[in-house]
Amino acid sequence: MILLPCPHCGPRNASEFRYAGEASTRPDPNATTPEEWRAYLYIKNNPAGWTTEKWFHRTGCRRYFTAERHTVTNEVRETRLPAARLESNS
Amino acid sequence: MSARRSLANLRIADCTPLTKVFVQAFEKGMLARDLGVEFGRAVRDENGTLRIGSGPGEWLLLAPPGSAPEVVERVEAVRAEEPVSVVDVTHGRALVRISGAKTVDLLPKVCGIDMSDSITPDGAAFRSSVAKVLTDVVRDDGEGTRSYLLHCERSFGQYLFDALLDAGEEFGIEIEGFASNNSRSPE
Ligand SMILES: [Zn+2]
Repeated sequence: MILLPCPHCGPRNASEFRYAGEASTRPDPNATTPEEWRAYLYIKNNPAGWTTEKWFHRTGCRRYFTAERHTVTNEVRETRLPAARLESNS
Repeated sequence: MSARRSLANLRIADCTPLTKVFVQAFEKGMLARDLGVEFGRAVRDENGTLRIGSGPGEWLLLAPPGSAPEVVERVEAVRAEEPVSVVDVTHGRALVRISGAKTVDLLPKVCGIDMSDSITPDGAAFRSSVAKVLTDVVRDDGEGTRSYLLHCERSFGQYLFDALLDAGEEFGIEIEGFASNNSRSPE
């Protein structure tokens, strides 16, 4: 069993999550070139090492979060919530 | 009531008729303060409604059958400044209660969460996979006996009930039938 620590729910079985891809910045569709847009959609870094990726806690809090994971050892050194959350007086 | 009260160490009851109201609001907003229960905990209020912090910025309210209008009204009466969503989901969800000392042996067969007192004491609430179904689990002990409420989408209700019955067979699980009140020990 691989444990993934959800920032809301704590460590859970990896089968509770859905992988949502490498974290990247979406280019402005109005200003980007077709090449940049294609690279954003299809070209991944896929490193053998530390990577930053998005996960969705499917059978849990049902929220997306960001994780820093080592793709060789599966060690997770940090998970965090998306930076911009719609939240009042927090 | 004359219904038989089982003393088995593992009992299962269908609590689906209970009123279920789903609330969404800011995690640290005015309504959250008024509800007074955070994600991961459950408390009974002065009206007998079980307030469950079922997710970040999400609450599930369980109350006696047919009381949805009053429960919704009480939430909407809170003058929250933030956007708030209050939906009666009674007919869309299923609710099962399992009780008895053997629940602590049954649940690990179908759910990966630690059921020990240090991790999930009385009043703990979490959402996880139970028999592969997305389920809200609330530990709601009564009279010193372990008891859990399991809440899922209605279409999975029959499957979840059957899966728990199957998993509980080796512990001598007994069916208690319908439990239509909101007390900890169905009668
Ligand atoms: Zn989570």
